Amino acid sequence: MPFWLGTLYSFSMTSETLPKIDYAVATRGLTKTYGHDSTRVEALRSVDVAFARSKFTAIMGPSGSGKSTLMHCLAGLDSADGGEIIIGGKNLLSLNDDQLTEMRREQIGFVFQSFNLVPTINAQENILLPLSLAGKKHDEAWFDTVIKALGLRDRLNHKPHELSGGQQQRVAVARALLTRPEVVFGDEPTGNLDSRTGAEVLSLMRSSTREMGQTIIMVTHDPVAASYADTVLLMKDGSIVGTIEEPTVATVSEALASLAE
Amino acid sequence: MLHVALSNIKTYARRYIAVVLAVAIGTAFLAATLAVNSSTQATLKNSLGESYKNADLVAYSDPNLDPETTEQTSFTLKETDDIRKLSGVTEAYGLGYAYGQMHTSDNGYNVQVQPVDPKQGLGGMELVEGRAPLSNNEMIIDQSHAEDMGISVGDVVALDDEQGKAQNIKIVGLQRSSTNPQTSAYALAGMSEKAWSNFAGEQANFNDIVIKGDGALNAVTQEVQDYFADKKMKDIAVVTADQKVIDDVAQMTGGTDQLTVVLLIFALIALVVTGLVVVNTFSVVIAQRTRELALLRILGAKRKQIRSSVLLEALVIGVVASVIGVLLAVALLAGLIALLHALVPSMSYAAMAVTPVGLIVPIIVGILMTVIAASLPARRAMKLAPLAALRPFDSASVKNRAGIVRIIFGAILAALGVALLIFGAVKGDLIVAFLGGLLSFPGILMLASLFVPSSVAGIGKAFAGKSTSRRLAALNAVRNPGRTTATATALLIGVTLVSMIMVGGQTAKASLNNSVAAEYPMDMAVSFFDGTADEAKAKELAEKINDVDGVSATTTFASTTAELDADTGADMGLDGPVQLQLLSVNPEEFSKTVLDQQIVPKPGEIVLTGWDFGKPTIKIGDKTLKVRETSALLSGSPIAEETLKTLGLKNAQTYPGIIVKVDEDVAGSKINELVTEISDITGVDSSMIDGGVVMKSMFSQIIDVLLTIVSALLAVAVLIALIGVANTLSLSVLERTRENSLLRALGLKKKQLQSMLATEAVLIGGVAALLGMILGVAYGLLGAQSALSEMGKMTYSIPWLQLIAVLAISIIAALLASIMPGRRAAKLSPVEGLATE
Ligand SMILES: Nc1ncnc2c1ncn2[C@@H]1O[C@H](COP(=O)(O)OP(=O)(O)O)[C@@H](O)[C@H]1O
Ligand SMILES: [Mg+2]
Repeated sequence: MPFWLGTLYSFSMTSETLPKIDYAVATRGLTKTYGHDSTRVEALRSVDVAFARSKFTAIMGPSGSGKSTLMHCLAGLDSADGGEIIIGGKNLLSLNDDQLTEMRREQIGFVFQSFNLVPTINAQENILLPLSLAGKKHDEAWFDTVIKALGLRDRLNHKPHELSGGQQQRVAVARALLTRPEVVFGDEPTGNLDSRTGAEVLSLMRSSTREMGQTIIMVTHDPVAASYADTVLLMKDGSIVGTIEEPTVATVSEALASLAE
Repeated sequence: MLHVALSNIKTYARRYIAVVLAVAIGTAFLAATLAVNSSTQATLKNSLGESYKNADLVAYSDPNLDPETTEQTSFTLKETDDIRKLSGVTEAYGLGYAYGQMHTSDNGYNVQVQPVDPKQGLGGMELVEGRAPLSNNEMIIDQSHAEDMGISVGDVVALDDEQGKAQNIKIVGLQRSSTNPQTSAYALAGMSEKAWSNFAGEQANFNDIVIKGDGALNAVTQEVQDYFADKKMKDIAVVTADQKVIDDVAQMTGGTDQLTVVLLIFALIALVVTGLVVVNTFSVVIAQRTRELALLRILGAKRKQIRSSVLLEALVIGVVASVIGVLLAVALLAGLIALLHALVPSMSYAAMAVTPVGLIVPIIVGILMTVIAASLPARRAMKLAPLAALRPFDSASVKNRAGIVRIIFGAILAALGVALLIFGAVKGDLIVAFLGGLLSFPGILMLASLFVPSSVAGIGKAFAGKSTSRRLAALNAVRNPGRTTATATALLIGVTLVSMIMVGGQTAKASLNNSVAAEYPMDMAVSFFDGTADEAKAKELAEKINDVDGVSATTTFASTTAELDADTGADMGLDGPVQLQLLSVNPEEFSKTVLDQQIVPKPGEIVLTGWDFGKPTIKIGDKTLKVRETSALLSGSPIAEETLKTLGLKNAQTYPGIIVKVDEDVAGSKINELVTEISDITGVDSSMIDGGVVMKSMFSQIIDVLLTIVSALLAVAVLIALIGVANTLSLSVLERTRENSLLRALGLKKKQLQSMLATEAVLIGGVAALLGMILGVAYGLLGAQSALSEMGKMTYSIPWLQLIAVLAISIIAALLASIMPGRRAAKLSPVEGLATE
């Protein structure tokens, strides 16, 4: 186990201990609460976590443990109440909405569970969307590489509704990879797919970390999906409570079962 | 299903705000129209009824009662006296009017004199100061004119009767001023009956006899009728005073009924536009509720129940909106009348009147319109299969199958209408052309689904260029072609009509100007008939006028008379010596000041106007002059100074005058100032300055006023359509919450999202306005052609500036319409948006 995961576990990580390893995303003292008084929920309780570059990390935990909240905060989609989130050397909590938006389109990629694509434009335009919103040209060679890797060559002119669920998710992955972001976030990216198609998309994600060096963080509740990751983080009640390296379906299921107790 | 409908309205209240507003404005327009009509009647009743204020009965002549009488008979003083003696009659007085002029030391006033008698209730007058006139040289006069003239009780004034016979008369009292619009031009005076009949002389007759009775009015009526029957005056009607007022008002309001009809047409246009907004709103709301409705079907709701639930919603909205609209109209009108009372005290008789019919009709129309408009989308909702609840909702693009029936019907109407329109324009037949417009416009609107979405798409694509967010906006604008068509059509109707009347008005103005120029070849002519200026003085004044701003050239003329050779006169079918008015001019200067070079005489020529004189020459004295003919209207026949000298006229009466040419760019409204200025310089009364420019300014001012009124009326329809644009946009935004959040997640900034929605609104609004303008220009030109081609040569003129203003207003309003939905969309954080189902 790399030493940083150990420190994570003990919630005593300090910035002095961090620089030795190359992290894509790191947080410190991240908190987020919903509601107030009687409806108050502490969704994130001072979370300190760091995600190594070029690794595929899965976040797991029981329903309501704060996985989605963590991911949304990390991705700059939702605002945390306190703490720090460092991506590409910048603290997301100190950015205004426009800076955050630029951050999202340049440094962060997304693959959502569903409704990933803009329905009015075709696959290629969807893939290029973050770049064209930024008014930037794409790298042809890189585009070809990504398209080829995801097997989308002959689907580029299709509108989203002409694509199958798996193809739609592959387009979303391609879009996320194209900007070569610091990190790609996946929120149950295979939740709506059948297991075979899901497996296909997961392998593609895994190979993009292996072959393209892409950092990926994925929220899932499916032990099979988690087994594609390099590391699994376990969450409970708004805190990180464990990690599993080189996870398998068996080890993940077992850990989840023990968390539920 | 009522509770489903009500809870739907509650849940989706925000989505209905705009449609309620639209329906309320449409209904308010209708209610205001009806209230204007009833208020005009009430106002007239107030003022016309003044003469009969204290009366029970009125006797008057109605020629329709007796086939032998063709003219209204009037009553004599004797008849009035006889009636007073009838049993049951307590008072009777004749309403008679004699006219004269009253002089004070420095002014004269027209007066209308009525007989009054203190015993007979003063003939309907109300004394406010002094006493009633008793003897022959006493008179009372109305308060406000007394004030104007500086007369008070006790003064003696000079009074001329219609024959100009003068007498001195003492003012012994003041009476309340009349509010009857028919008499307000006169000072209202009263004399004793005897004095009045002396003053009026042969005209001492009454139009009506006003009677007050005691006890049973029926008996009194019978008594009076018998009296006239005995006298064989078969044309005399005796009615109650109230009835008489109602009849008088009906007679007078022939004109206001037309106003009501015109207003109703505009109200109808506003309601059609409102209907489109309603159709659109319900289509969108139902589309958004597809799953919910289908779920109801799965749970056992019958098709009819689904439909009636939608119709019930429409009914509730219709009721609420119509009531709001009617209240709005009543409040508005009451406010206006209160304002009128406050600002113009003499209009105190203006009254607000709302009839139950005037309240109920707009409410019913508003409700029916809402429900009928909603029934189309409701039918579509009814056809929804239960399975639609389970189908994944794909909002990428909706294919609306344009009803083939509608397309065919629209095409037939449009083809027929356009054919009639063109026929009418070519033949100069306004009625045929109007019919053509009436058929073709709805036809074209039915075909809107064929050209509106493609125009929006085409222009959107061109406008988007390389910008991704603008490209997305263009795609979104035509995502649901049916919705886009309905939204755009609502706006297109108003813009077409507005630009039509602008182009029509402008062309009418230009054409009238041209025909005026042909008839009146001079802008202005000042004549010194009375010899206040000699030729030298006229030249000097002409120089002065030349320096006035807005004057481009001046010249002088001398007007003189010459006797035509007797033979020439005979040739022209005239006997005796024929006098010809000549205008002696310097041809060179003259040609610079006139608009038609045809009237410039060459040496040896005389210009004859409007005479069908077939001969090439005429003779004056022993000189033969070549005739140059013109159709223009001139006060004399232009002839060159040099030519005139050779005629050797003697003893001719001569007076000078000045011709003024006005700069072409002087606005119509400035002409009056210019006329006043020239009148001041020359000392000639402005009413004596004539010429085409005055006519032109009158025409263009009349047309401008009409254009302004009609545009203001149509603006209501445009406003409703713009509310429709805002409505469609905000509903679409709701529908695309997830998609917009996705775009935000992927890097669309708040500002970009807002400008994307603004672009969408501008595309729909701008393209609708553009198409409306194109249609409006075509209709305007064809309409003007068919209405005016009889007048002669047409001058087509398109008011580009005004049209651009209409386009700009539409675009700006569309931008404004996008603000609210844009704000709401931008406020939503990406996570919240993605979480919504
Ligand atoms: N928008 C919200 N408003 C209020 N509470 C929320 C909201 N989103 C999440 N929560 C609460 O925060 C906690 C964490 O939720 P979430 O991050 O969605 O957990 P997970 O994704 O692990 O199921 C839960 O208790 C949930 O009820
Ligand atoms: Mg979750």
